[in-house]
Amino acid sequence: MYHLRLAYRFHSWIMTEINKPVSIVPLVRFRIVFGLLMFVSLVRFWTRDWIDTVYIKPSFHFSYSGFEWIKPLGNPGMYILFIFVIVAALFIALGFFYRIAAVVFFLGFTYIELIDVTTYLNHYYFISLVAFLMIWLPANRKLSLDVYLKRTTKLEAVPAWTIGIIRFQLAVVYIFAGLAKLNYDWLIEAQPMKTWLPAKSHLPVVGTLMYKEWVAYLFSWFGAVYDLFIVFFLINRRTRLVAYFFVVIFHLATALFFPGIGMFPYVMIASTLIFFPGKNIDDSHVETSVRYPRFVPYALLIYALIQILVPLRFLLYPGHLFWHEEGFRFSWRVMLMEKAGAAYFRVKEKSSGRRFEVSNSEFLTPLQEKMMSTQPDMIVKYAKYLADVYKKRGVKDPAVYAEIYVTLNGERSRLFIDSTVNLAEQKTGWHHYNWVLPYKKTK
Amino acid sequence: MKNKLLTAALFILLFSCSKSTSEPNPGNENPGTFDKSAMLINYADNVIIPSYHQLQENVNALVAAVNAFADHPSLEAQNAALIAFSQSYVRYEYVEAFNFGPAGTAQLDYYLNFSGGFDYSFTEDGVLAGYTVDSISIENNIATGNYDLTTYNRNNFYSQGFPALNYLLFGPNAIEKFGNNAASRAKYLKDVAHRMKELVDKVVTDWSTYRGSFVANTKSDVGSPIGNMVNMLAYQMDMMKGPRIGWPFGKQSNGIVFASKSEGYFAGIGSQLARANIRSLKNVYLGGSGSKGISAYLVSLKKETLNTDVLAQFDIVIAKLDAIPDPLSESFTSDANKVEDAYKEIQKLLTLLKTDVSSALGVQISFMDNDGD
Repeated sequence: MYHLRLAYRFHSWIMTEINKPVSIVPLVRFRIVFGLLMFVSLVRFWTRDWIDTVYIKPSFHFSYSGFEWIKPLGNPGMYILFIFVIVAALFIALGFFYRIAAVVFFLGFTYIELIDVTTYLNHYYFISLVAFLMIWLPANRKLSLDVYLKRTTKLEAVPAWTIGIIRFQLAVVYIFAGLAKLNYDWLIEAQPMKTWLPAKSHLPVVGTLMYKEWVAYLFSWFGAVYDLFIVFFLINRRTRLVAYFFVVIFHLATALFFPGIGMFPYVMIASTLIFFPGKNIDDSHVETSVRYPRFVPYALLIYALIQILVPLRFLLYPGHLFWHEEGFRFSWRVMLMEKAGAAYFRVKEKSSGRRFEVSNSEFLTPLQEKMMSTQPDMIVKYAKYLADVYKKRGVKDPAVYAEIYVTLNGERSRLFIDSTVNLAEQKTGWHHYNWVLPYKKTK
Repeated sequence: MKNKLLTAALFILLFSCSKSTSEPNPGNENPGTFDKSAMLINYADNVIIPSYHQLQENVNALVAAVNAFADHPSLEAQNAALIAFSQSYVRYEYVEAFNFGPAGTAQLDYYLNFSGGFDYSFTEDGVLAGYTVDSISIENNIATGNYDLTTYNRNNFYSQGFPALNYLLFGPNAIEKFGNNAASRAKYLKDVAHRMKELVDKVVTDWSTYRGSFVANTKSDVGSPIGNMVNMLAYQMDMMKGPRIGWPFGKQSNGIVFASKSEGYFAGIGSQLARANIRSLKNVYLGGSGSKGISAYLVSLKKETLNTDVLAQFDIVIAKLDAIPDPLSESFTSDANKVEDAYKEIQKLLTLLKTDVSSALGVQISFMDNDGD
């Protein structure tokens, strides 16, 4: 009886908390900054001619299992899709036909990202998730063309969860990125920092420090502590301003040291603004708050559970996570390891024994080859594709084998998979790939 | 906690926000560091620029020999041309790994010694792939007198440079073919040789201006000098495994040999070229004498064992290639075991350069700019 009452109290407390009216300002600010950043980000992608090199030129794409129906749209299809998404980003920033723009942006952006696994980046995944959330949020109810043109009414207050959900999403990103760093290589060996930093000795003033081991340890440990705790300091009213200062410095530093990470630092600097609340809302505004259906709390709960469980799925797999990469993606493992491989594929006609070595460049872009060489699921997808190609070239019953060497975190390269296994016969899926050789630490 | 974080933040701020334009430290007074500027200066002044000057000299001699043959085609002139041709070709192997900066702009590798690229498989005859020659286009150019050697397409790449000279000087009935249309044939030969000279001269001149930016850029990212050199080492090894040895040997085609697609086919100097190529790569890896090259850089990063292994593997490959007699195109069949041996060791060296070395140096093996996280 007592427990039941406690549960009931907890339930009603939660309900009050998530529906408590708060200022709409953080949400509106987030909408504008996010929209503009996405606009810049996509235009940058276009001007670097990556639409062509990544989505139009390649003859083969590594599709996501279950999303094989997603295909690149060719030329001019890909450009048209990008125009839609770019315009949608602008509309989101302007708050113009906001809901439709958010839907178009989410679908368009996610479609593009689902074309090829080799283009997977954690911040693209983050953008897809945030775009999905924004579809359901009343972010256009102030400072928007929709309000200005009277397409909707202005609001000063929104339920707390509409802002809380984005904060939660950011917390997931940071905390899981931090947890991912709590491993032997990162903390005790200071890898991959020890490998990466000497390549940064060209930086002014600090250049020569990049060769020092203690600097690699400083970067590793500071990065881990930052990721694990920054959200708590952003939530706390008294530490917020200092914490945000850290956010800006930290991400600008990563942008400076690792220019290869592209827009990621700016996405984080912009997104974390959501932690700054607006003015306190007095009760007179409560009436204007939007009403949401009763199932919203449950939907939020399910979303949160998924976000917490997906990055933890790696625990279900045996073997070294960095080596096998089972449960690696969609888990906020950012800049975590240095891994490179060389993959030599061979097609064999089973009936006759005829052998054909494959030139990967004939089928893959340098980026695709680089990604495929170290990731088992892509290796299988490529092998199956090769089997198809060689069948068309007249090889009756092609078996595909690969000799692959991989180096991880500065260790010497070693054989990655069993080179006697016919990869074309292997299945991709959630199961453990036992044809990947077990990881052994080498020096 | 807060104080610690603040200290650390100030620390990072101190590091990262200094926009001062300090010069890369000239001396190397800091123990445990590596002077990349000195390394790049060494590469420019002692390895790259001298190699181009050497090539320039040889190409000048080649032009003279080609002109002599074109004016008076004879066995004697042909023999003289073979010496000049082989010397220039060998010298060219010593600059192949510098296909960035001025050579990249001039597309020296396309116009002087087109390899066909990696994306054409050696599965059927008649396809223009590897170090073949487009004799149809060449004869057509001679017959019509209507050609522009600067045109950017595969047929044109295969109609000039070393492959075209190889065919025109030493191809079947090279002398007899002057029987008719001698003037046009002589003109085409001279034009091809002259264009080679023009391109090499241009690269030599351009290096004198490019040197400054090459030496000043000590970054290791895509397109930086260090990034380019490490990438080119891996790329040239890939070439060795593919178009230079493995593919004409029949690795892509179940052992069907494509003899005529091997480098320097008509002159019969494929092995000699491969030996020059691997020696030039070892020289690049060492940076000449060895104290200021990629090799020394690896040692400074405490990768002594890796460095020793790479050098040993270079020597193994050199020994295996030295064992293959010329003409390479015949050895594919008559000395298949020796070629197979060399091929295996080439792949091992390629793996070391493409994974261990590039990873240890923080250099991405990628000829393509992209984001990552």
